[in-house]
Amino acid sequence: MKKNRVLAVVAAVAIATTSFVAFAPSASAACSSKLKIAYQGPLTGPEAALGINELNGVKFALKRFLAANKSANVDPVVYEVDDQGDPAVAGPIAPKVAAEECVVALVGPAYSGASKVSLPVYLSAGLPIITPSATNPTLPSFGKSIFHRAVLTDDYQGPALARLVTQNVKNAKVFLVNDASDYAVGLQKTVDITLAGRVVGKDVTPTGTTDFTATIAKIKKSKATAVIYSGYFSQAAVFVKQLRDSGSKIVFASGDGTLDNQFIKLARKAAEGVLLSAPAIPMETASPKLAAEMVKAGWTPGVYTTESFDAANFFLEAIKAGNTDRASINKYVSTQSSKGLSKVLKFDADGEVSGADVNGFVIKNGKIVLLGAIKA
Amino acid sequence: MDFALLHDAFWGLTFDGIALGAIYALISLGYTLVYGVLRLINFAHSEVFMIGTFAALVAASGIMGVKVEDDPRTGGSMILTLVVCLVVAMLASAITAVLVEIVAYRRLRQRGATKLATLISAIGVSISLVELFRIITDSLPREFPRIMEKTFLFSYAGADIRNDKVIVIIAAGLMMFALERFITKTRLGKGIRAVSMDENTSTLMGVNINRVITVTFFAGGLMAGAAAFFYILVYENTSFKVGFFLGISAFTAAVLGGIGNLKGALFGGFALGLMETWTSAVFGTAWKAVISFIILVLVLLIKPTGLFGESIQQARV
Repeated sequence: MKKNRVLAVVAAVAIATTSFVAFAPSASAACSSKLKIAYQGPLTGPEAALGINELNGVKFALKRFLAANKSANVDPVVYEVDDQGDPAVAGPIAPKVAAEECVVALVGPAYSGASKVSLPVYLSAGLPIITPSATNPTLPSFGKSIFHRAVLTDDYQGPALARLVTQNVKNAKVFLVNDASDYAVGLQKTVDITLAGRVVGKDVTPTGTTDFTATIAKIKKSKATAVIYSGYFSQAAVFVKQLRDSGSKIVFASGDGTLDNQFIKLARKAAEGVLLSAPAIPMETASPKLAAEMVKAGWTPGVYTTESFDAANFFLEAIKAGNTDRASINKYVSTQSSKGLSKVLKFDADGEVSGADVNGFVIKNGKIVLLGAIKA
Repeated sequence: MDFALLHDAFWGLTFDGIALGAIYALISLGYTLVYGVLRLINFAHSEVFMIGTFAALVAASGIMGVKVEDDPRTGGSMILTLVVCLVVAMLASAITAVLVEIVAYRRLRQRGATKLATLISAIGVSISLVELFRIITDSLPREFPRIMEKTFLFSYAGADIRNDKVIVIIAAGLMMFALERFITKTRLGKGIRAVSMDENTSTLMGVNINRVITVTFFAGGLMAGAAAFFYILVYENTSFKVGFFLGISAFTAAVLGGIGNLKGALFGGFALGLMETWTSAVFGTAWKAVISFIILVLVLLIKPTGLFGESIQQARV
């Protein structure tokens, strides 16, 4: 009896596997219904805020596109791929996305780790992607011809963040703090190299730290004139508030993980004067009109919403130009350009965006104010 | 290693460590009370705390009409707002704790389920509540308005003593004292101690077990709610995942002191708050968990039942 059960399970698995292989679409499989735009990123779990920001950008782009092109053969619903920002989750999901024949383009993946496991799958399925936020410099080697990135990599942001501080603080003595995430450690490394002798101390406050007492005591003892925090907005807000409540008035600077209106909401007065760098640009800064329209439509823009909006628009332009399969859409985005809100998207042979800048921002009167590109 | 920093800023770090420890101690009382009575680790207790923080938030903005952009309140208005937020947070957490007991544990207990089944039920409730609040809050943290201006009252040996932390330490001390009186002096408290000593004999002596368990969860929830308000008063933000890290720390504090023992939970809370702050200064904040947990393991190796032993009846002072 037991043996029969085992045999039945083995047979079922075998049938399922062969049918999957038999029916898995090739790169040129045709879609018999409406074309779908996919978004991949963390939509649940602790990293979900960033993924939702980006998904909202894609939804908004799709809504505007369909309003202007009523007869377009595009599904009004974004095909959502929730990888929780986790490579272990992304690994099993990517083949399912690749097998969806009507998914002709994907905005994402949002995170570098999840990108590394997903990109080879999408490459073999010929599915074009534009990531709005995965900034690890090695990603083109994983995605090759289908890979495109709408932002500059970490190699650019770290040095720019360091320069933003040295250009705004005379004879800066800098204390570095990071939240121990892959993103923050990588960013701080390049900041550290650029600042060289100006670093007077460092501390690591792992994600979830709520009490910064000891870090603040270290900063005060180091006589630093600026602190650069690598990490995300929620913890940055807690940190800067405690720093200001301790009586410290030194300059506080951070990267794109903190560039979010939620940071101002959480830190309130403590956010005033904070310097930020990002290869991204907030929707409110890029286009207050569209940002207001987006809020009215029920979606709150956040960090990387603009880049996702631009990426989705580029794909939609490709479809509008008559491209209806993965290969032709990939060719279109690889060779053409698109005037986005954040920048003109024009990709080089590696899929990297050219002519982009890392922007500097300052928080003034509760608003993120663009200082302009951070010059060398 | 920076022992010079610990030396130079010792009193400042110690004061902040005590304030943090007071919050840990209040949460750990809930773990210890439930364990003392049911021999069950209530993993949903961290979410009882989390709900308390959101209740304080709702009380401030919804009941007292405090807006995030408002200036801090002063005088009677400030005291009233603080008290209302505290009471609402305590009640919300206490009611949540009782509901968790009724929904997730009572039926399992009455049907003689294994401890493992109850433990899984506890973890299930915890995850459900976290995900529920993640959905409600759209995964975003929420800010708490500044109700009182944070000012330095005085300076002692280089330590700046801030008003909000003084309030936390004094109020937490009063809460703990009230709980201790309740457990040792009242009829219901005696019931809790009797059940923790021997459930069967207590039943034979006429103790209503279900009532005692409900009161235990309620009392633990009240303390977690107070901790939630003090936390949000000092740190001024919360999120769906706020209970996770604080819950682990508070649970550790309870084990360090001897889970099931009230005095142990108090001592464990303050000890962990101080250890975390001091070790962060000496070894760096990233090392605080490593050092704190090594100390916990060492203590348990020497004294497996924690510093004060495992029993509520030992809580007499």
